[in-house]
Amino acid sequence: MDEDERPLSPEETLRLIEQQETVVAKRLIPDMTLHHLAWGAAWFVGFGAFFLHHGLSGTPYARIPITVAMALLTGLMALAMLVSVFTVWQLRSPVHGASQERGSLYGLTWFFGFLAMWMIAVRFGSLLPGPERSLLWASLSMMVVAILYMVSGIVWPIRPMFVLGAGVAVLNAVGTAAGPGWHALLIAVGAGGGSIVTGLVSRRRRRR
Amino acid sequence: MTPELDPVIHAQARLRVVVTLNALAQGDQITFPGLKDLLGMTAGNLSVHLSKLEEAGYVEIVKTHKGRTPVTYVALTRRGRLAFEEYTAAIRELLGTAGTPAPGDT
Repeated sequence: MDEDERPLSPEETLRLIEQQETVVAKRLIPDMTLHHLAWGAAWFVGFGAFFLHHGLSGTPYARIPITVAMALLTGLMALAMLVSVFTVWQLRSPVHGASQERGSLYGLTWFFGFLAMWMIAVRFGSLLPGPERSLLWASLSMMVVAILYMVSGIVWPIRPMFVLGAGVAVLNAVGTAAGPGWHALLIAVGAGGGSIVTGLVSRRRRRR
Repeated sequence: MTPELDPVIHAQARLRVVVTLNALAQGDQITFPGLKDLLGMTAGNLSVHLSKLEEAGYVEIVKTHKGRTPVTYVALTRRGRLAFEEYTAAIRELLGTAGTPAPGDT
Protein backbone atom coordinates (compact mmCIF):
# COMPACT_ATOMS: atom_id res chain seq x y z
CA MET A 1 0.00 0.00 0.00
CA ASP A 2 2.93 2.33 0.66
CA GLU A 3 3.95 2.29 -2.98
CA ASP A 4 0.35 2.96 -3.98
CA GLU A 5 0.06 6.01 -1.80
CA ARG A 6 3.30 7.64 -3.00
CA PRO A 7 2.27 10.89 -4.69
CA LEU A 8 3.05 10.94 -8.39
CA SER A 9 4.32 13.85 -10.41
CA PRO A 10 2.00 15.06 -13.19
CA GLU A 11 4.33 13.50 -15.80
CA GLU A 12 4.29 10.14 -14.04
CA THR A 13 0.52 10.37 -13.67
CA LEU A 14 -0.01 10.98 -17.35
CA ARG A 15 2.33 8.12 -18.24
CA LEU A 16 0.50 5.80 -15.85
CA ILE A 17 -2.83 6.74 -17.48
CA GLU A 18 -1.48 6.06 -20.97
CA GLN A 19 0.11 2.77 -19.95
CA GLN A 20 -3.06 1.50 -18.35
CA GLU A 21 -5.17 2.59 -21.34
CA THR A 22 -2.86 0.56 -23.62
CA VAL A 23 -3.14 -2.50 -21.37
CA VAL A 24 -6.93 -2.27 -21.41
CA ALA A 25 -7.14 -1.76 -25.19
CA LYS A 26 -4.87 -4.75 -25.84
CA ARG A 27 -6.95 -6.96 -23.57
CA LEU A 28 -10.44 -5.90 -24.63
CA ILE A 29 -10.10 -5.17 -28.36
CA PRO A 30 -9.88 -8.35 -30.45
CA ASP A 31 -6.81 -8.82 -32.62
CA MET A 32 -8.25 -8.97 -36.14
CA THR A 33 -4.96 -10.00 -37.81
CA LEU A 34 -5.77 -13.70 -38.21
CA HIS A 35 -9.34 -12.96 -39.26
CA HIS A 36 -8.19 -10.72 -42.13
CA LEU A 37 -5.40 -13.10 -43.18
CA ALA A 38 -7.76 -16.10 -43.25
CA TRP A 39 -10.40 -14.28 -45.31
CA GLY A 40 -7.74 -12.84 -47.58
CA ALA A 41 -6.35 -16.31 -48.29
CA ALA A 42 -9.85 -17.75 -48.81
CA TRP A 43 -10.81 -15.06 -51.33
CA PHE A 44 -7.47 -15.13 -53.09
CA VAL A 45 -7.41 -18.90 -53.62
CA GLY A 46 -11.18 -19.39 -53.96
CA PHE A 47 -11.86 -16.59 -56.43
CA GLY A 48 -8.51 -17.33 -58.06
CA ALA A 49 -9.92 -20.78 -58.94
CA PHE A 50 -13.08 -19.12 -60.32
CA PHE A 51 -10.93 -16.77 -62.39
CA LEU A 52 -9.00 -19.69 -63.91
CA HIS A 53 -12.30 -21.48 -64.55
CA HIS A 54 -14.04 -18.53 -66.27
CA GLY A 55 -11.13 -16.80 -68.00
CA LEU A 56 -11.35 -13.14 -68.97
CA SER A 57 -12.86 -13.69 -72.40
CA GLY A 58 -14.92 -16.77 -71.66
CA THR A 59 -12.11 -19.26 -72.40
CA PRO A 60 -10.91 -21.09 -69.26
CA TYR A 61 -7.23 -20.73 -68.32
CA ALA A 62 -7.20 -24.03 -66.47
CA ARG A 63 -9.48 -27.01 -66.41
CA ILE A 64 -10.93 -26.48 -63.00
CA PRO A 65 -14.52 -27.81 -62.87
CA ILE A 66 -16.99 -25.33 -61.39
CA THR A 67 -17.82 -27.80 -58.61
CA VAL A 68 -14.15 -27.89 -57.57
CA ALA A 69 -13.88 -24.09 -57.62
CA MET A 70 -17.09 -23.86 -55.59
CA ALA A 71 -15.94 -26.49 -53.07
CA LEU A 72 -12.57 -24.73 -52.71
CA LEU A 73 -14.12 -21.32 -52.08
CA THR A 74 -16.81 -22.63 -49.73
CA GLY A 75 -14.37 -24.79 -47.77
CA LEU A 76 -11.86 -21.99 -47.33
CA MET A 77 -14.60 -19.54 -46.33
CA ALA A 78 -15.87 -22.03 -43.75
CA LEU A 79 -12.34 -22.24 -42.32
CA ALA A 80 -12.07 -18.45 -42.29
CA MET A 81 -15.41 -18.27 -40.49
CA LEU A 82 -14.00 -20.58 -37.80
CA VAL A 83 -11.01 -18.25 -37.46
CA SER A 84 -13.39 -15.27 -37.04
CA VAL A 85 -15.39 -17.07 -34.38
CA PHE A 86 -12.15 -18.07 -32.62
CA THR A 87 -10.95 -14.44 -32.71
CA VAL A 88 -13.94 -13.33 -30.66
CA TRP A 89 -14.07 -16.45 -28.49
CA GLN A 90 -10.43 -16.37 -27.38
CA LEU A 91 -10.92 -12.83 -26.09
CA ARG A 92 -13.35 -14.17 -23.43
CA SER A 93 -14.20 -10.58 -22.74
CA PRO A 94 -15.05 -9.80 -19.11
CA VAL A 95 -17.16 -6.90 -20.34
CA HIS A 96 -20.91 -7.15 -20.12
CA GLY A 97 -23.64 -4.72 -21.14
CA ALA A 98 -24.30 -2.37 -24.03
CA SER A 99 -21.34 -3.34 -26.21
CA GLN A 100 -22.01 -7.06 -25.73
CA GLU A 101 -25.56 -6.53 -26.89
CA ARG A 102 -24.30 -4.49 -29.84
CA GLY A 103 -21.98 -7.39 -30.75
CA SER A 104 -24.86 -9.89 -30.75
CA LEU A 105 -27.03 -7.64 -32.90
CA TYR A 106 -24.09 -7.19 -35.26
CA GLY A 107 -23.81 -10.98 -35.59
CA LEU A 108 -27.54 -11.16 -36.34
CA THR A 109 -27.12 -8.51 -39.02
CA TRP A 110 -24.65 -10.77 -40.87
CA PHE A 111 -27.12 -13.61 -40.60
CA PHE A 112 -30.01 -11.58 -42.04
CA GLY A 113 -27.79 -10.12 -44.76
CA PHE A 114 -26.79 -13.57 -45.95
CA LEU A 115 -30.31 -14.97 -45.58
CA ALA A 116 -31.62 -12.28 -47.93
CA MET A 117 -28.72 -12.83 -50.33
CA TRP A 118 -29.28 -16.58 -50.32
CA MET A 119 -32.98 -16.23 -51.13
CA ILE A 120 -32.36 -13.81 -53.99
CA ALA A 121 -29.59 -15.96 -55.48
CA VAL A 122 -31.59 -19.21 -55.25
CA ARG A 123 -34.70 -17.62 -56.75
CA PHE A 124 -33.09 -15.76 -59.64
CA GLY A 125 -29.98 -17.85 -60.11
CA SER A 126 -31.96 -20.70 -61.66
CA LEU A 127 -33.03 -18.38 -64.50
CA LEU A 128 -29.45 -17.55 -65.48
CA PRO A 129 -26.81 -19.38 -67.57
CA GLY A 130 -23.92 -20.96 -65.56
CA PRO A 131 -21.30 -18.18 -65.53
CA GLU A 132 -23.92 -15.48 -64.84
CA ARG A 133 -25.36 -17.52 -61.99
CA SER A 134 -21.92 -17.87 -60.45
CA LEU A 135 -21.45 -14.09 -60.82
CA LEU A 136 -24.82 -13.45 -59.14
CA TRP A 137 -23.79 -15.48 -56.07
CA ALA A 138 -20.33 -13.93 -55.92
CA SER A 139 -21.43 -10.32 -56.39
CA LEU A 140 -24.33 -10.53 -53.93
CA SER A 141 -22.18 -12.08 -51.20
CA MET A 142 -19.38 -9.55 -51.70
CA MET A 143 -21.96 -6.76 -51.54
CA VAL A 144 -23.12 -7.95 -48.12
CA VAL A 145 -19.49 -8.23 -46.97
CA ALA A 146 -18.59 -4.76 -48.29
CA ILE A 147 -21.55 -3.04 -46.62
CA LEU A 148 -21.07 -4.76 -43.27
CA TYR A 149 -17.31 -4.11 -43.24
CA MET A 150 -18.00 -0.44 -43.83
CA VAL A 151 -20.62 -0.38 -41.08
CA SER A 152 -18.32 -2.12 -38.56
CA GLY A 153 -15.54 0.27 -39.54
CA ILE A 154 -17.83 3.13 -38.54
CA VAL A 155 -19.39 1.61 -35.42
CA TRP A 156 -16.25 0.37 -33.63
CA PRO A 157 -14.49 2.50 -35.22
CA ILE A 158 -11.78 0.69 -37.17
CA ARG A 159 -10.65 2.75 -40.14
CA PRO A 160 -8.79 -0.04 -42.03
CA MET A 161 -11.95 -2.12 -41.94
CA PHE A 162 -13.99 0.70 -43.44
CA VAL A 163 -11.38 1.24 -46.15
CA LEU A 164 -11.34 -2.47 -46.98
CA GLY A 165 -15.16 -2.52 -47.18
CA ALA A 166 -15.25 0.51 -49.46
CA GLY A 167 -12.55 -1.00 -51.69
CA VAL A 168 -14.44 -4.29 -51.96
CA ALA A 169 -17.65 -2.39 -52.82
CA VAL A 170 -15.94 -0.59 -55.71
CA LEU A 171 -14.21 -3.73 -57.06
CA ASN A 172 -17.47 -5.66 -56.74
CA ALA A 173 -19.37 -3.06 -58.75
CA VAL A 174 -16.69 -2.80 -61.44
CA GLY A 175 -16.21 -6.57 -61.63
CA THR A 176 -19.95 -7.23 -61.90
CA ALA A 177 -20.19 -4.81 -64.81
CA ALA A 178 -17.17 -6.40 -66.52
CA GLY A 179 -18.28 -10.05 -66.23
CA PRO A 180 -17.58 -13.28 -64.31
CA GLY A 181 -13.86 -13.64 -65.18
CA TRP A 182 -13.02 -10.04 -64.35
CA HIS A 183 -15.10 -10.13 -61.18
CA ALA A 184 -13.27 -13.24 -59.94
CA LEU A 185 -9.90 -11.67 -60.79
CA LEU A 186 -10.67 -8.34 -59.09
CA ILE A 187 -12.04 -10.00 -55.97
CA ALA A 188 -9.18 -12.53 -55.75
CA VAL A 189 -6.45 -9.92 -56.11
CA GLY A 190 -8.19 -6.81 -54.74
CA ALA A 191 -10.36 -8.15 -51.92
CA GLY A 192 -8.10 -11.11 -51.11
CA GLY A 193 -4.93 -9.05 -51.29
CA GLY A 194 -6.65 -6.10 -49.58
CA SER A 195 -7.73 -8.28 -46.69
CA ILE A 196 -4.20 -9.63 -46.26
CA VAL A 197 -2.82 -6.06 -46.29
CA THR A 198 -5.49 -5.02 -43.76
CA GLY A 199 -4.43 -7.92 -41.54
CA LEU A 200 -0.81 -6.79 -41.67
CA VAL A 201 -1.80 -3.16 -41.00
CA SER A 202 -3.88 -4.08 -37.95
CA ARG A 203 -0.99 -6.21 -36.68
CA ARG A 204 1.37 -3.23 -36.97
CA ARG A 205 -1.12 -0.89 -35.29
CA ARG A 206 -1.49 -3.30 -32.41
CA ARG A 207 2.25 -3.69 -31.92
CA ARG A 208 2.72 0.06 -31.67
CA MET B 1 -2.65 28.72 -8.92
CA THR B 2 -2.17 24.93 -9.01
CA PRO B 3 -5.43 23.15 -9.80
CA GLU B 4 -6.90 20.97 -7.08
CA LEU B 5 -6.34 17.22 -7.72
CA ASP B 6 -9.14 14.91 -6.67
CA PRO B 7 -7.66 12.95 -3.70
CA VAL B 8 -9.93 9.96 -4.35
CA ILE B 9 -8.42 9.46 -7.82
CA HIS B 10 -4.94 10.78 -7.09
CA ALA B 11 -3.53 7.53 -5.69
CA GLN B 12 -1.72 5.18 -8.05
CA ALA B 13 -3.89 2.12 -7.52
CA ARG B 14 -7.21 3.94 -7.63
CA LEU B 15 -6.12 5.97 -10.63
CA ARG B 16 -5.44 2.73 -12.52
CA VAL B 17 -8.86 1.40 -11.51
CA VAL B 18 -10.57 4.54 -12.76
CA VAL B 19 -8.56 4.62 -16.02
CA THR B 20 -9.53 1.00 -16.70
CA LEU B 21 -13.22 1.54 -16.01
CA ASN B 22 -13.21 4.76 -18.02
CA ALA B 23 -11.92 2.81 -21.03
CA LEU B 24 -15.14 0.79 -21.11
CA ALA B 25 -17.95 2.09 -23.29
CA GLN B 26 -20.77 3.86 -21.49
CA GLY B 27 -23.38 1.30 -20.46
CA ASP B 28 -20.75 -1.45 -20.08
CA GLN B 29 -19.72 -3.24 -16.90
CA ILE B 30 -16.74 -5.48 -16.21
CA THR B 31 -16.63 -8.56 -14.02
CA PHE B 32 -14.65 -8.26 -10.80
CA PRO B 33 -12.12 -11.01 -11.80
CA GLY B 34 -11.76 -9.39 -15.24
CA LEU B 35 -10.93 -6.05 -13.62
CA LYS B 36 -8.55 -7.74 -11.19
CA ASP B 37 -6.62 -9.33 -14.10
CA LEU B 38 -6.40 -6.07 -16.01
CA LEU B 39 -4.91 -4.37 -12.96
CA GLY B 40 -2.78 -7.20 -11.64
CA MET B 41 -4.06 -6.53 -8.13
CA THR B 42 -5.09 -8.94 -5.42
CA ALA B 43 -8.81 -9.32 -4.83
CA GLY B 44 -8.48 -7.86 -1.32
CA ASN B 45 -6.57 -4.82 -2.47
CA LEU B 46 -8.98 -4.16 -5.32
CA SER B 47 -11.98 -4.50 -2.98
CA VAL B 48 -10.56 -1.87 -0.65
CA HIS B 49 -10.02 0.61 -3.48
CA LEU B 50 -13.41 -0.12 -5.02
CA SER B 51 -15.20 0.60 -1.75
CA LYS B 52 -13.42 3.95 -1.48
CA LEU B 53 -14.47 4.77 -5.03
CA GLU B 54 -18.00 3.57 -4.32
CA GLU B 55 -18.20 5.78 -1.21
CA ALA B 56 -17.29 8.76 -3.37
CA GLY B 57 -20.07 7.77 -5.81
CA TYR B 58 -17.56 7.15 -8.60
CA VAL B 59 -18.20 3.45 -9.17
CA GLU B 60 -21.23 1.25 -9.14
CA ILE B 61 -20.90 -2.33 -7.95
CA VAL B 62 -23.65 -4.74 -8.93
CA LYS B 63 -23.82 -8.17 -7.34
CA THR B 64 -25.95 -10.65 -9.25
CA HIS B 65 -26.16 -14.31 -10.23
CA LYS B 66 -25.34 -16.06 -13.47
CA GLY B 67 -27.16 -19.33 -13.05
CA ARG B 68 -26.06 -20.34 -9.55
CA THR B 69 -22.69 -18.61 -9.48
CA PRO B 70 -22.57 -15.15 -8.00
CA VAL B 71 -21.09 -12.48 -10.30
CA THR B 72 -19.96 -8.99 -9.43
CA TYR B 73 -19.97 -6.29 -12.09
CA VAL B 74 -18.18 -2.99 -11.76
CA ALA B 75 -18.72 0.21 -13.73
CA LEU B 76 -17.85 3.88 -13.51
CA THR B 77 -20.82 6.13 -12.72
CA ARG B 78 -21.50 9.35 -14.64
CA ARG B 79 -20.07 11.19 -11.68
CA GLY B 80 -16.96 9.01 -11.82
CA ARG B 81 -16.48 9.70 -15.52
CA LEU B 82 -16.86 13.40 -14.94
CA ALA B 83 -14.42 13.32 -12.01
CA PHE B 84 -11.84 11.52 -14.15
CA GLU B 85 -12.32 14.03 -16.96
CA GLU B 86 -11.72 16.89 -14.54
CA TYR B 87 -8.74 15.07 -13.03
CA THR B 88 -7.00 14.60 -16.40
CA ALA B 89 -7.78 18.22 -17.31
CA ALA B 90 -6.12 19.32 -14.06
CA ILE B 91 -3.07 17.13 -14.73
CA ARG B 92 -2.69 18.56 -18.22
CA GLU B 93 -3.04 22.05 -16.83
CA LEU B 94 -0.23 21.30 -14.37
CA LEU B 95 1.90 20.14 -17.27
CA GLY B 96 0.91 23.12 -19.35
CA THR B 97 -0.26 20.85 -22.16
CA ALA B 98 -3.95 21.64 -22.00
CA GLY B 99 -5.55 21.08 -25.38
CA THR B 100 -2.49 19.46 -26.97
CA PRO B 101 -2.12 15.70 -27.30
CA ALA B 102 0.12 13.93 -24.83
CA PRO B 103 3.66 13.22 -26.08
CA GLY B 104 4.01 9.66 -27.31
CA ASP B 105 7.22 8.92 -25.41
CA THR B 106 8.63 5.45 -24.83
